[in-house]
Amino acid sequence: MHSFEFMEPTTLAEALRLLATHEDDACVFAGGTALLLAMRQRMMVPEIVVSLGRLHDLRTIGWTPAGGLRIGALARHGDVARSELVQQHYPMLAGVAAGLANPQVRNQATIGGNLCYADPATDPPSCLIAMGAEVTIAGPDGERRIPMRTFSVDFFTTALEPGEILTGILLPPPDPQRLGHYRRHLRTAAEHRPVANVALTARRVGSAWDEVRLVVGAATPSPQSMTRAEAYLAGRAITLDVAAEAASLVAEELAPISDGRGDAAFRRQVVRAATRRIVAEAAGLDWKETAA
Amino acid sequence: MSGHKLSLVVNGERVEADVPSNRLLSEFLRDDLALTGTKRGCETGVCGACSVLVDGDVVKSCLSLAVQMNGREITTVEGLGRVGALHPLQQQFMEKGGLQCGYCTPGFLMAAVDLLKRNPNPDDAEIREGLSGNLCRCTGYQGIVDAIRSTAEAGHGA
Repeated sequence: MHSFEFMEPTTLAEALRLLATHEDDACVFAGGTALLLAMRQRMMVPEIVVSLGRLHDLRTIGWTPAGGLRIGALARHGDVARSELVQQHYPMLAGVAAGLANPQVRNQATIGGNLCYADPATDPPSCLIAMGAEVTIAGPDGERRIPMRTFSVDFFTTALEPGEILTGILLPPPDPQRLGHYRRHLRTAAEHRPVANVALTARRVGSAWDEVRLVVGAATPSPQSMTRAEAYLAGRAITLDVAAEAASLVAEELAPISDGRGDAAFRRQVVRAATRRIVAEAAGLDWKETAA
Repeated sequence: MSGHKLSLVVNGERVEADVPSNRLLSEFLRDDLALTGTKRGCETGVCGACSVLVDGDVVKSCLSLAVQMNGREITTVEGLGRVGALHPLQQQFMEKGGLQCGYCTPGFLMAAVDLLKRNPNPDDAEIREGLSGNLCRCTGYQGIVDAIRSTAEAGHGA
């Protein structure tokens, strides 16, 4: 690996100053699991590595009934998965965090690092968008707060401006009427990165749903909200036929990526199947009934 | 480029060192401290042969920098047991055929320690999930799963 300066600021203000001073020569280091691989493959060759490892305040997970959940950007996936607050109030997120990568990486990699690296082949972004998450970003001019759906911009690209640091993830207070389901598909059981995933949340209103959020991740350069299927599912009694129609709408709307792990046609079929299953599952239906 | 003063505890002993910023933890353990029980396998975070405990949590030392370890406590396979006083997991790996060539074994042992710390009585599916960050090309895994299950059944899980 190339040589670099490793800096460990002890306050957020100091970290922001270092980024402002060194501009493009610097990069932010959180858990390091993805960044070290990129640096060793010389995809990234920063002269200055600004580690956030000593910003302990950014590691905490807090919850209030009125404010919801705040996850510090430096919380590790294992911290999120094992948090009683997350398990109790946001079981969908706890489940996603518990299944990411492998135990070692969950003990190292951070949720904030995951979002900032913006590798499409991962799970948290689509899950968080479907949950209505927002993120907080610190910069030279103070803090701003934006919806997670506008944070993930493109392939390895986020809404972070130069010199900014992601500080936390906010989730609205849990709504007992809102259901949440998540499905991820790996090419083989031994792989750690999904080829496609689907996140679904919706408010139950009688036997129908409204405020439907259906988000596809890993199959596209950045997570994509399936707006046609969301509109179609709202206000409708969910049957297996409705689930199949929603899956067709998603397959039409989706613009999947092709890579060595799966071409676009394969990913479209995986997402179609995943969508039909997740909608049926969320409505308490057995999707295997019409498996053909 | 720059050297970093490092103060940490490795296998219960205080270690002071001066390391370059680009030193991987796996390199530091093997090449600077001569703790060669920790193996370098894929060096891309896939195989788990380099797994060690940092403050009790299993991590991949090829995905960590030595400079991140200032003030931390590291346990490698050398800190687990000794000849004549093996760790219960090491004993069970021997008895159940949990290894053949042995290259992946230190990593599996460290992953198993972390697994049993969090879940003293795992079922087979939980054991396999706990080992999902480690690769073995000899055993077919069954002997490893058997070893961990029997360790837990003997009450050594916690």
